[in-house]
Amino acid sequence: MASRGRERIRASRGSPGSGVDRPGAHAGSCVCGRAGGSAWSWSNPWSWAGWLIILVVLALVFARPLGDVFRRLVGRWCGIRIEEGYRGPGPDPVRLSTGYWWNGHSYERSRRDAELDQRWRRRISDPAYWRDVRWVAISALTVGPACAVPGAALAGAVIAFAHRSATAVVIGLLLAAVAAAVAPHAWRVTGPLADRWLRLRLRLPENSAMAERVRDLQAQRADLTTTQAAEIRRIERDLHDGAQARLVAVGLSLATAEKLMDKDPTRAKALLREAREGTSNSLAELRELVRGVHPPVLVERGIVDAIRALALDSPVDVHVDASGPIRPEAPIEAALYFAVAELLANAAKYAPSAHVRMRLRARESAVEIEVEDDGPGGATVVPGNGLDGIRRRLAAFDGTLNVDSPTGGPTRARMVVPCASS
Amino acid sequence: MRVVVAEDLYLLRDGIVRLLEAYDHEVVATAATGPETLQALLTQQPDIAIVDVRMPPTNTDEGLTAVLSAREKIPGLPVLILSQHVEQLYARELLADRAGGVGYLLKDSVFDADQFIAAIERVAGGGTALDPAVVAKLLGRPGTASRLAQLTPRERSVLALMAEGLSNTAIANRLFLSESTISKYTTTTFDKLGLHDDDNANRRVLAVLAYLNETHR
Repeated sequence: MASRGRERIRASRGSPGSGVDRPGAHAGSCVCGRAGGSAWSWSNPWSWAGWLIILVVLALVFARPLGDVFRRLVGRWCGIRIEEGYRGPGPDPVRLSTGYWWNGHSYERSRRDAELDQRWRRRISDPAYWRDVRWVAISALTVGPACAVPGAALAGAVIAFAHRSATAVVIGLLLAAVAAAVAPHAWRVTGPLADRWLRLRLRLPENSAMAERVRDLQAQRADLTTTQAAEIRRIERDLHDGAQARLVAVGLSLATAEKLMDKDPTRAKALLREAREGTSNSLAELRELVRGVHPPVLVERGIVDAIRALALDSPVDVHVDASGPIRPEAPIEAALYFAVAELLANAAKYAPSAHVRMRLRARESAVEIEVEDDGPGGATVVPGNGLDGIRRRLAAFDGTLNVDSPTGGPTRARMVVPCASS
Repeated sequence: MRVVVAEDLYLLRDGIVRLLEAYDHEVVATAATGPETLQALLTQQPDIAIVDVRMPPTNTDEGLTAVLSAREKIPGLPVLILSQHVEQLYARELLADRAGGVGYLLKDSVFDADQFIAAIERVAGGGTALDPAVVAKLLGRPGTASRLAQLTPRERSVLALMAEGLSNTAIANRLFLSESTISKYTTTTFDKLGLHDDDNANRRVLAVLAYLNETHR
């Protein structure tokens, strides 16, 4: 107690002078030097902070090599395979027209700087690296002591034997026995510990942007597969109960007519007429079906004219305003077409006397369609309704639907789907 | 009549050719692609051409494009477009030059051979043949509703048949009425819509369509 107090006084006497002498920039080397010089004490940070800093720096520098060693050893001894999990190198820096280099994070004067900056940023932000840093701390507290037991026991035994007294010899023998017994087990703790802590947890933080994106994509995929399956079932049912059944009936009528041709020409004629009507009806059904699967006018003319055709067929008054040629990829075209069809159907249902203005625009990397009506408003996106269906349809292409529809109108729906549009 | 048939599906093309030959029309050329169609239309200058909308090489609206460019060079070249689906948009494009001699029918219309041949002959004579489906859509336009509401159901059906391109005689036959009754209906219809009555069937169609177009927007 007393010696520690003296120690503190001595240290506090010494430190102000040197602290003042040396500027802050050299604080690191200052505390290291001091730590090496003065006796160790909890209450005197100067005596251990330097060592701590050195340890931290060493841990940061050697985290990855140490992790690699452990991964290799655990793989060889315990048969536990642990992925390294480090990110690959980033994209090559791009030289901009300004002469600066862009590495995806920042602008740098030279390519070397850009690469260096990128390498550091990727290293610092790599979860695999921080896992290895964490492992340094964990292994120091767990594997370290476990491995130190046999060595320490052996050292203790040697010291005990050196005393040459009976009790010391007994203690020495005991320690030697402990060292011998523990030695084979020391490494055993490493396997489970490494398995638990050295593995890169792929579970991303719940609130990270990446996790959100993954959740979105999972939801979209689920949506897509269910709507696709439902659509295919609908088509199958329509074909099965519609066109197929009708064609069977047509065949029957024809067969009967053939039989009756000579005996009863009037009935045969009636049957032939029936058969013809049957083909007409199944054609009409097939036409409707095809329109629902992929509208022919979309194939023949593309999105702009297809939407014009929709506008012409709509019972509400629609004005279409399109600028320039807009030809997104076929799946996007179809999604936009059905979205517009749904919006027009909504307008016809809730605002039959409204005037609708539609604007189609191809922007640099997106197609934008705005549908505005002067109806009563109050449209909302409710899970399961038509607008929600549009939203989900577009979401599959990273597109968005924004509906602004105050009560009393007007209703404005804006759809944006990213794509190379022209 | 000298006919050109442009259709990429062999079975359908063959069927149409056989139907035409059964009615004593001469098929002077057949085509299966857009460029072939244009070539045949320009070199043969047929009395009428029967053209499918969708054909190779692009399988989009090749046939329609070929017809429109042929009619630019030979105004009023009689053309009947056959398609699996009808669009007001295409009907408007076909009728836009107001030269007449235009038909636009669903492929199903070949089922009624007599009516189909009648439509061909009407178009070849500079008249018009629009599919009832197109006409129904045209009459269903917003804006026209208020003016059309003044018409009696009878007058409406006469207007629809007129828009399809039928003459008073044909309308009379279709509705099982006398021709004089029909002409009375057409007069009152034209009066109510503020159109000029005209004997020429094509003019009548164009008048109806112009009216429908004007009231749109």
